[in-house]
Order: sequence, then structure tokens, then C-alpha cells
Amino acid sequence: MTPLRALIAEDEPILAYTLQQTLQRLWPELQVCGVVDNGASAVQEALAQKPDVLFLDIKMPGKTGLEAAHELAEDWSDEGHFPLVVFVTAYDEYALQAFEQAAADYVLKPISDARLGKTVERLKARLQQHAERDAELERIVGQLRSLVPGMPVASERLSMIRAAVGNQIRLIPVNEVLYFEATDKYVNVVTAESESLIRTSLKELLPQLDGSQFWQVHRGTVVNAHCIQSAIRDESGKLSLKLKNHEQMLPVSRVYAHLFKQM
Amino acid sequence: MKTALLPAMSTYPRLRRFVIDVAITWVFNTVIALLITFVMRIHSSFYINFVISMCIGTLMVTIIDGGRLLLWGLEKPPRIPFLVLFAASLPASQYLGNGIASWLLDIPRENFEAVRANNVVGFLVLFVIVCGGITWFFWNRSLVEHFKAEAAGEKARAAAIEKQALQAQLQMLQAQIEPHMLFNTLANLQGLIAVDAARAQHMLDQLIQYLRATLASSRSEQTSLAHEFSLMDAYLGLMQVRMGSRLSYHLQLPDEMHGLNIPPMLLQPLVENAIKHGVEPKVGGGRIEVEALREQNMLVLRVRDTGLGLGATPADQRSTRLGVANTRERLRALYGEAATFFLGPNVPCGAIAELRIPL
Repeated sequence: MTPLRALIAEDEPILAYTLQQTLQRLWPELQVCGVVDNGASAVQEALAQKPDVLFLDIKMPGKTGLEAAHELAEDWSDEGHFPLVVFVTAYDEYALQAFEQAAADYVLKPISDARLGKTVERLKARLQQHAERDAELERIVGQLRSLVPGMPVASERLSMIRAAVGNQIRLIPVNEVLYFEATDKYVNVVTAESESLIRTSLKELLPQLDGSQFWQVHRGTVVNAHCIQSAIRDESGKLSLKLKNHEQMLPVSRVYAHLFKQM
Repeated sequence: MKTALLPAMSTYPRLRRFVIDVAITWVFNTVIALLITFVMRIHSSFYINFVISMCIGTLMVTIIDGGRLLLWGLEKPPRIPFLVLFAASLPASQYLGNGIASWLLDIPRENFEAVRANNVVGFLVLFVIVCGGITWFFWNRSLVEHFKAEAAGEKARAAAIEKQALQAQLQMLQAQIEPHMLFNTLANLQGLIAVDAARAQHMLDQLIQYLRATLASSRSEQTSLAHEFSLMDAYLGLMQVRMGSRLSYHLQLPDEMHGLNIPPMLLQPLVENAIKHGVEPKVGGGRIEVEALREQNMLVLRVRDTGLGLGATPADQRSTRLGVANTRERLRALYGEAATFFLGPNVPCGAIAELRIPL
């Protein structure tokens, strides 16, 4: 039996240290395999270490705990159990009661021994039920879906995309866009004829699109639903989209897979 | 008649006003009739003079006052059109009033005319006195009302301004001591108590100082620069305990400027924004420098950070815009056009916020 391991993501060093100390006292057999201080590192470390338990601070630089969990759920390979996620927050602004009856737990800072003790009991019980652990990923995906904010109502809809190509501005009617693909600092606008980069983030772009026509299917992909021909599941269970008149297949992440359940 | 009039009068303010004006006119009419009868000794009978005076006066008030209320309501009427109405009403009410009176009294019109012709000077004097009196009375009354309305408007404006100030104060308080800040700080205290009691004690002192100053300064009119800087020191000290090596900071206040007075809550939001939108959300953290200096007769307060910079996220842009608008509004309220606020990018990264206040 390998020892149980936990990863702590908390940007305030004293709080990270305190949580580590308290866990040691309440749950001596749990090993803390790492402490990171931002969301991006949390995802990297969790993918590398595959801990059993992941304590995620909600408010962190770079990425929030929720965004980190989201990304981790998308990038998680199917080997090994998805970690049990415990959200840690100073202030209950995310309606985190959703987690009270759920797989992942959440604790409020300052963390009291009594409350963390309950969390530890809950985690221990979860870790012993192997069947439960297999469903862990699905469960957190379901929760994330309920926590991912809905499409904000746009102040104005985009009808034309203005993309800089060399020294000219290309105008692309939104309806002709097959999909938007987030790259590092840009968004790639793909049509049947062309690809152009625009200097904006998917986050800023989303509210300006018609949500009934443009669906987010992955953290970095928003697709024009009118151009989808079919959704295909491969033997490993991964979903991809086949577009009309387009070679490129688009992967659908777990968080958005429910969009393609048959009616 | 009266029973029907009363409820109607309370629902129709113009009608109410008209009835009052007619009543006042009748008093005038009576006085005029008395003057004509006993001072000018024209027509032996008071009764005849009273009827004539009543007819003319009532017509006059109906045309002038009725017309005014119909055309302009209870507002102050525009001067020129009102004077035109007034001038037109004089011959009209004279002529018609005489007609009605002669019909009521069964005295031919010519008799009136003859009497008037014999006393031209007397009537002219009377006419001037009466017109002047009536005009003066009504004009004054409308002026008084105009002033009253103006005073009421002024009062309402003052109340609105006060309400805004109170709301701003409340919002500021809520923004200042946000739960995140408080609970995170308490969580750090809780952790420190177990490992380093002395540091925990120091942190607790800073928290108390910060909370007290924040609560107190939102109630006071003026505070000294020294006080404001020590408050910022407490706040940044707290943040440094929390953020560890991710935050470094430096405060610079020349000795001779310690005693200068500034309004509270001008500097604090700038420093808190530098933390909240600049250094705290940045993965590697950053540095904050706060300085006060004197340039000619201006006090310059500058907050520099090496954080994420302006408008890193859309949400940030919105709240920054709001914060900037609030600061500008506050400066305008305090100093008019004499103070300026500048927010721009810092080199190589982060933001600079700068206040310039007349000394």
C-alpha cells in the first residue's frame, strides 16, 4: 500500500505552512508531497505527482483554484485516480455549499482544527471506497460545470471580427467563423478559407458572441455549432467534433461533454 | 357650491390658486369702491360703485390670473408675454365690466362715461394707484413663491449631496475592510500564534492600527500625512506578512511634510489598488513605492507598483475605471479644478498613480 499523498496550493506562505502542520497533526499518515503558490504550478505539480488529495486555495495569482481544477480535469489522463479536491477560501463567495454534500470538500479560512478534522474524516472515507474514487473525476466535472459562470449577457454582439493581417485589417463575418482557438496571448480565428490571429482573450470574446450559436467545447475552444457535422467518441472514450468541410477535428473536454449527449 | 369646490380645490392646485386670487381681488374691489365713493365722492351711492368695481375687477382677475394659470400653470410666468396679457386685459375688462354693470344696475353706459369725463384726473390717479397696487401685490407674491421654491430646491440638493457623501462613505468602508482581507489576515494570525508569538503580536498590533485608522478616517475631515503614512505602513506590513517574499515595499515621506493635512481616504485606495490589482494577482509578486513630495505649491502623492499593470483583465478594467472615477469625483468635490489625478503604466511593468493637490 503506497502512502497517501497530498498537494497544497496556497499563495500565502504562513497559511500553507499552517495547513501542512495541522494536517500532520490530524492525519499523520498523509504525506504532503508539495506546496505551490499559484494556480499554474498547482496544475503542473498535480499532473506530475498525481496526489490523492489536492488542497486548492480559490484566490491565487495567475489562476484561481476553480480555474486550476477545471484545467486539471481537462488535462487529466485516465491513468490513476483523480485527486480528491478540497477548496480553501477566506470568504464564501462562490456559493461553495455546493461542495458540502459532494465529493470534494471545502474549508473556510481561518481553518479550525475541528472543521479540518471533519474534512479529514470525509476524505478518509472517500479514499477507502474504490468505486467512489473512479467516479471522482466525473463528480468534480459536474460541480465545476455548476460553478462555471454562465454566459454573461453581452452589452453588444459582435457581427464582424477585425483581424490584423500584415499591415491591413481583415473583416470576418462572425457567421463564417468555424471556431475560435485560444493560443498563448491571442485567439486564432478559423474560417473555411483562412486563419487569422486577434489580440484578445477567449474570456473577453465570449460575452460578445451569441451563446446559442457559439459553444465552448474546451477550455481553449469555442465552436460555431452550425458548422458541426458530428461528435465522435473514440475507443478510449474521448469525444471529438467533425466539422463540415474541414479537416481538423476538435477535442471536447469532459466539462463540456454533456453538450453532445443524445436527446 | 362650496362643498363641491373644496375637494376639487385640493385636487386642482391651479383652481385653488385662482379662487384665492379672486377673493383677494374682491377685497381690492371693495377698497376701490370705497375710495371712489368717499374719497372722490363720485356717484352718491356706494352700491353702484361697488357693482361696477366688482364687475371690472373680477373680469380683470379672470383674464390676467386665469390666463396665466391656464398658460403657465403655477410657474413663474415669462415676463414679456405676461405683460402683454396684462396690458390687453385693462381695456377689455374696462369695456366689458362697464357693460355688465350697466346691465345689472339698469343704468345706461353713457352715464358712466359722462361721470368719468368729468373726473379725468381723479380717475387717472386712481387707475394708476390701483394698477400699481395690484401689480405690486401679485408680483411680490410670485417673487416670494419663486424664492420659496428656490430655497426648497436648494435644500433638496443639499440633502442629495449629503446622502451621496454618506453612501460613498459606506461604500468606502465596505470596500476597505473587505472580508477577504480580514479573514485572510486572521488566518495568518492563527498560524503565526503557534510558531512565532512575537511576530503574531506585532501583526495583531498592525491589524488593530489599520482597522482603527480606517474606521476613524472615514469619519474625519482631515488627517496628517504622517498619520496617513503610518496607516499605509501598517497595511503594507500586514500584506507583507501574508505575501512573504512576494511583496516588498518602501514609504518615503520627507520630515518637513509630516504635519501637512490631507483629506483621509485619498492615498489609501491607491495603495490598496496597487496591491489588489497589481502585485497580489501577479505570480512573482512585486514592489510598491509610496512617496510624498512638494513641487512648487502642489503636494504630489505617488504610488508606483511593479504588478500586473493596468487592465490586465476585463474585470480589473471595470473596477479600475470605477475607482478612478470615484477618485476624480472626490478631488473635484474637494478642490474643484485645482487637483489632478493621473493613472498610467510604470516602467518596466506595473502602474503609477499620482495625485496632485494644492497646498
